[in-house]
Amino acid sequence: MNPASNNGLRTIVCLKVVPRPEEVRVDAETMTLDRAGAQSFINPPDLNALETALKLKDACGGEVSILSMGPPFFEPYLRLALAVGADRAFLLSDRAFGGADTLATTYTLAKGVEKIGAFDLVLCGEESLDGATAQVPPGLAEWLDVAQVTCALEIEKVPGKREMRVQRELKGGSETLSVDLPAVVSVKANVNEPRFIDYDRMEWALQEAPVGVWGAGDLATDPELTGLAGSPTTVAGVRQVATPDRRRKHLSGSAGEIARALADLLRTQTGSRGG
Amino acid sequence: MSAQYDDGTILLDDATLERFHRATGGEAWPCYQCGTCTATCPWGRVRQEPLLVRTLMRNAQLGIDEDGESLWLCTSCGICEDRCPRGVPIVRILRALRSLAWKDRRIPEGLPSVLWAVHRDGNPYSLPPCERTRWADDLEVKEFEPTDEMLLYLGCTASYDRRIQKVARSVVGGLRAAGVQFGTLGASEPCCGETALAMGQTAFAAEIAEANAKLFAARGVKTVVTISPHCFDMFQNHTPRLDEGFEALHYTQFLARLVSAGRLVCRGSFPRRVAFHDPCYLGRRNGEYDAPRTVLESIPGAEIVELEESRAGALCCGAGGGRMFLETPVGERFSDLRVRQAANAGAEVLATACPFCITCLEESAPQVDQPLKVMDVAEIAARALEPEGADVEATASGR
Amino acid sequence: MAASLIRPEEAQRIWVWLEHDGTSLEGVSLELLAKGRELADRSGEGLVGLLMGHELDSLADEALGYGADEIVVAEDPLLEVYTTDAWCDAAAQVVLEKKPNILLFGATPDGRDLAGRLAVRLRTGLTADCTDLEIKTDEPALMLAAEVTGFGGGVAAIIACKENRPQMATVRPGVFRPALRRSHGEEGVQSRCPVRIDPGRVRTRVLERRIGEAVDITKAEALVVGGRGVKGDFGLLETLAGLLGAELGASRVAVDEGWIEKDRMIGQTGSVTRPKVAIVCGVSGAMQFTVGIMEADTVVAINSDPEAPIFESADYCVVDDLFSILPPLIRELENSR
Repeated sequence: MNPASNNGLRTIVCLKVVPRPEEVRVDAETMTLDRAGAQSFINPPDLNALETALKLKDACGGEVSILSMGPPFFEPYLRLALAVGADRAFLLSDRAFGGADTLATTYTLAKGVEKIGAFDLVLCGEESLDGATAQVPPGLAEWLDVAQVTCALEIEKVPGKREMRVQRELKGGSETLSVDLPAVVSVKANVNEPRFIDYDRMEWALQEAPVGVWGAGDLATDPELTGLAGSPTTVAGVRQVATPDRRRKHLSGSAGEIARALADLLRTQTGSRGG
Repeated sequence: MSAQYDDGTILLDDATLERFHRATGGEAWPCYQCGTCTATCPWGRVRQEPLLVRTLMRNAQLGIDEDGESLWLCTSCGICEDRCPRGVPIVRILRALRSLAWKDRRIPEGLPSVLWAVHRDGNPYSLPPCERTRWADDLEVKEFEPTDEMLLYLGCTASYDRRIQKVARSVVGGLRAAGVQFGTLGASEPCCGETALAMGQTAFAAEIAEANAKLFAARGVKTVVTISPHCFDMFQNHTPRLDEGFEALHYTQFLARLVSAGRLVCRGSFPRRVAFHDPCYLGRRNGEYDAPRTVLESIPGAEIVELEESRAGALCCGAGGGRMFLETPVGERFSDLRVRQAANAGAEVLATACPFCITCLEESAPQVDQPLKVMDVAEIAARALEPEGADVEATASGR
Repeated sequence: MAASLIRPEEAQRIWVWLEHDGTSLEGVSLELLAKGRELADRSGEGLVGLLMGHELDSLADEALGYGADEIVVAEDPLLEVYTTDAWCDAAAQVVLEKKPNILLFGATPDGRDLAGRLAVRLRTGLTADCTDLEIKTDEPALMLAAEVTGFGGGVAAIIACKENRPQMATVRPGVFRPALRRSHGEEGVQSRCPVRIDPGRVRTRVLERRIGEAVDITKAEALVVGGRGVKGDFGLLETLAGLLGAELGASRVAVDEGWIEKDRMIGQTGSVTRPKVAIVCGVSGAMQFTVGIMEADTVVAINSDPEAPIFESADYCVVDDLFSILPPLIRELENSR
């Protein structure tokens, strides 16, 4: 809708569509995941990344593109992101991309970023709800050979310079970095409150908005590096883990007995190793 | 943008004015600024500075977008609208102003997340759709079929909130005692969209309402009976009617019909002094004051007393208009005043018929000196269904 | 598939990247040294700790005592604080020189930041946020079987990296017991691996670091939470929290009453928390509260009202007065220190 201004930020937001975790089943016979019956939604931290991108656009202008890799059914979710505020979207979709681990995924996404063209910033959600690897942003930065910052809490543009100031989470604290652009930044989950869909944009997003769908031919990807073929890791087995439902186990006895049982429990749960 | 200067001068802006008129449909024009609305608004009873409803109407007339927090205080209780000598649809105008505030991103923190939850999970509590049927795990409530007398619509709060699940179970107990053939939509039950509407997301609410209308038509629903007056209001007044014969009812209305038809008879008793708190969305917004009282009066032993402000004059609990999802500071909660009124009326039980009212009133109840139990009308009825005070809710659960 | 820069037949030994704050090793690094030792003993491979930084003499001596056969030290002034580019360049040089078979990292912010980039540079596989590690000795080459969980913890998978080396993994802190300090004479040897870092390639600069500041209950690993039932006295809860390294949390009632600050409020209009364990004392458990602890791994509820809905949302339920349970619990925890 808004053309990128000359000094605005060209931002690409990586977005993944994930199945509802509680609806994913493991097929005990084939040892594979059955996602067929599961509803999907936009990976929640990716909405935090989108909000970060839109705030930066509000502050310094520019353009926000959405980039995703996955099957064609992802497209409506990309259009939803357009209705929230993004300007255009690209979906990397090809059977050849299927079964990719992080090495192959980051290679393919990097080819997508290169095809979109010049960029200042790639923003990703910290990690995906399904894989929870948090490895895509650093891998993508490496393929693109640009700076990276992970676990970002706050991001602002340094006026007049090709530079961002990023606050990043550390164990037990945070650090502030200055980062040369272009860069890949992963945004912590829940660092902001994603704005809701703008229904005035809905008609445009659903009907007119450009959503580019690119396959292996469009990206000129090396077949040795994409999909299952390009993935060094393999899944040797899967199993369903007990439901996270609450146990509702009643502890009874004298106050002293209950206290002892609780103390044992807490020592294991908090990993407190005798102080 | 309009601007307001220290000396009281207001600079109006044509574009903003035009925008406001489009959003409100000019419905604020009949207001002649008498101030009855500000005077009747319950906020004036809990705050030094009342909610300046009259100013909000003036802003709507002139296109002044400087409402700040006050726009989000309204609980849409409708008492101002009820008393307005000019018949201004104040609540609808405030909703329109809220929709403009969304556009300008002048939104209280937390509300976008509630809407995303409704969009993604089909409920404002961010809980998984597959857990929607948990309330009835051991009740064997069946899926709705077109041959059923009615569809029981739980709504999000009765589905997920463990306190309100008890109300739903009591309603089921009452329906079963009366031999009503009914079903639910199970895990595929959608949100009614009232949360979105109350927060001013009118387009989103309309999208939900349209989908629900189609769903009801496709499933062959003629009569939908809700637990919450908010869902009832949504289906009654804001959901398109695809079927002329379609009827939305609050469960107290349905139970009252069963009582009048002699199908629902309480054989036990409930020997308590009971006061009824009229939920705004059942009473003022939909004119239903008698149905819950009909049900209560049919219960042997129950002595019904009226609260100081009741029926059309009922004081709001404070949770409507999206306030359920916003923090109200201590000392500013309407429900604190309401439980004191119940205590003054000598009530032992404060009955109501809305999940939000129950939540607020129950939280305030410990503030009065005498024991005051907050119960839903359905819970009282379920208690009195069988002699010897057998607990039907508990029986239904198989405990 | 594109081959990794290191061939399987030349790869050897199990390596652990040792994270530190300049004076002591991270807990997860000690945990990995212990697990690494176990895997090394089972497979007959050596265990190496990789220590990177600037002026590391005393830390290198310290690191020797936790079961590694060798500590490899890579030092450079540009490694004084962590930056992705400097550390990734240095780590890649060490790895290409020494050719590890397995390379383990703690799944901490910096461990994940480094491992994710390094794996792509080496064109190898990385298994992230593992919850268990095993060596498959029946395989021709020493093979790591790493367990990960996904889909909100509902699915566990075993991941292997068959042909590419090193086999990299990040491991979630707290899943293994930490290595204990060995007695003198059982320590490994120390060596140095020179690295060259081009300052022009370092594209981030650390301007400021803040460790241990304002409370943020959303990040707390453990929470002790009080409600109406504490009757204005958070003293016992505070003592318990101190013993567990937990933060204090509160229900809306406790905040309303002014018993505790508002930034500790949990629930719909407060914070949604994700602790490993939450001990919830005297909270009735309305849904407006429980949505704030829904994502806790374990919930312990103490409430004298057996009908309190909080018990529906708890893993361990104690129907008793918190004032009679907490004092003996505190004594138990104090005695075990």
